[in-house]
Amino acid sequence: MTSTESSPSSPAGPSQSFLKKYDFLIRRLHSLSGLIPVGAYMCVHLLTNASLSGGPDVFQNAVFAIHSIPFLPVVEWVFIFLPILFHAIVGVWIAMSGHSNTRNYTYTSNKRYSLQRITGYIAFLFIFTHVLHLHGWFHWDWWLGLVEPVGMAQFRPYNAASSLAKAMGSLSIFWPLFYLVGVLACTYHLANGIWTAGITWGVWISPKAQKRASVACAAFGVLIGLAGLSSLAAVIKTDPVAAKEVEDKMYKVRVEGRMIKPDAHKTTDGHSNHE
Amino acid sequence: MIAPGPEVSTSTSSSDRRPSKINVRVLRQDGPGTPPYWERHQVEYEPDMNVISVLQKIAAQAKTSEGKKVNPVAWDCGCLEEVCGSCTMVINGRVRQSCSALVDRLLEDNSAEIELQPMTKFPVVRDLMVDRSRLFHSLKRVQAWVPVDGYYDMGAGPRITRDDQEQNYPLSQCMSCGCCLDACPQFNKVEVQRQAGESDEAFEARKKGAYESEFIGAHAISQAMLFNSHPVAKSLEKERLEVLTAPGGVQACGNAQNCVSVCPKQIPLTTSIARAGRAVTFYAFKKFFDR
Repeated sequence: MTSTESSPSSPAGPSQSFLKKYDFLIRRLHSLSGLIPVGAYMCVHLLTNASLSGGPDVFQNAVFAIHSIPFLPVVEWVFIFLPILFHAIVGVWIAMSGHSNTRNYTYTSNKRYSLQRITGYIAFLFIFTHVLHLHGWFHWDWWLGLVEPVGMAQFRPYNAASSLAKAMGSLSIFWPLFYLVGVLACTYHLANGIWTAGITWGVWISPKAQKRASVACAAFGVLIGLAGLSSLAAVIKTDPVAAKEVEDKMYKVRVEGRMIKPDAHKTTDGHSNHE
Repeated sequence: MIAPGPEVSTSTSSSDRRPSKINVRVLRQDGPGTPPYWERHQVEYEPDMNVISVLQKIAAQAKTSEGKKVNPVAWDCGCLEEVCGSCTMVINGRVRQSCSALVDRLLEDNSAEIELQPMTKFPVVRDLMVDRSRLFHSLKRVQAWVPVDGYYDMGAGPRITRDDQEQNYPLSQCMSCGCCLDACPQFNKVEVQRQAGESDEAFEARKKGAYESEFIGAHAISQAMLFNSHPVAKSLEKERLEVLTAPGGVQACGNAQNCVSVCPKQIPLTTSIARAGRAVTFYAFKKFFDR
């Protein structure tokens, strides 16, 4: 319960009045950013990961393709990190503005509302930890020198499957469990978020249309969730030593064929030599 | 009100097992801003009671179940047939009208006790009476009326198609009870305390200011849609959409959809909210690109 005691002349600080003034725009951008680029990126990401089920070579080819994108760090920041940051921070602000009441009102849609907020918080923690764990957040040498020794920034794009498998197995079953919870939370959040975005933007209006959309979003969630689960299963099954042999061969051929430039930072061996 | 059918007669036969007394727990509050407290009351059971008749007995006794003499419990009521909305309160944790809350049904759910609380999202005036002025202020903000004021003859009104009538009639049944607001997780309580020496006008203005930045609520969104699809009231369409995109507008909806579930008139509130969402999508695009 909130009680407002402010006088009409000063409705709180300037920061709050900014959020209030652009309430509509901010919330609509929050809704949009959840679909594009964050939601769309999540689909591409989980499907790429699921390619590991085809073996380390299939996955490595997919990663080579992603790393051939020019200005990748800029693309990452503008189309992935910043939108996620925006969606996460505004999302926490939105979630904190509501007061869940599922104890007295046990309707399914009310539970979905609460679950959307709970999975949002989980996704927030999961994504920030996950990016630190594998990507490292930043690639400045001094920063990597700090986080790599504590088991963060572990992914090596040119040794994709092997570095991933090693990173995931480094703390017994902690990381696989952490990713299981995180991926499922993100999946629910996206599937249910598409449904609520459809209401927010006025795409599905009647109860019948909303019901149909709900079924479609659930089916979408199951598919995306399966992609996530199969990636996780594939990571657990991957043998880092065998995978590394394959990847090193692929790297050598690509460098010799002038398909990529040698980049020690993106390989396991080159990276460790560098330190 | 309801003719006793076969179901009712079975419940009458089981009424022998019913306690002769009804325990009622009331959340009382002596005035605005004072701390609330629970109080237990016990009244004689009679068949076919509603919560209002229980409250009448409680007020007449003015005595707690421990026998302590207390001030009569205060509550609001009007029509006693679920069309005025004034007797709305939280009964056994759920918001509804007390006139249509039948005691026999409540005892089926929980025979031990009936729990009465004032609405949770509005400032308490006293006991079960709340100040619902924010609800009515929201309706004023969206100009939920047909602007035909004047003394001259305007002739016959425009024809309204059958489809529009069927869409609008359910929305016109809103009785402004506030159930949709009380059950909404996005609609937060706003209580403005009167300052010492503050004039009525200054207090009212401060209250309005506090209400206007907060969520307008499902009832007002639905009424905005009702009047935006009326051929005459449509003239204020832009003004209404402007309010629905202002701070606390339709964007504050979190799609929990409790409003439609608790609405005693089964008004398709979530349909109205989605219609409003579509209307403001187009309105905002137009406003942004046409300026």
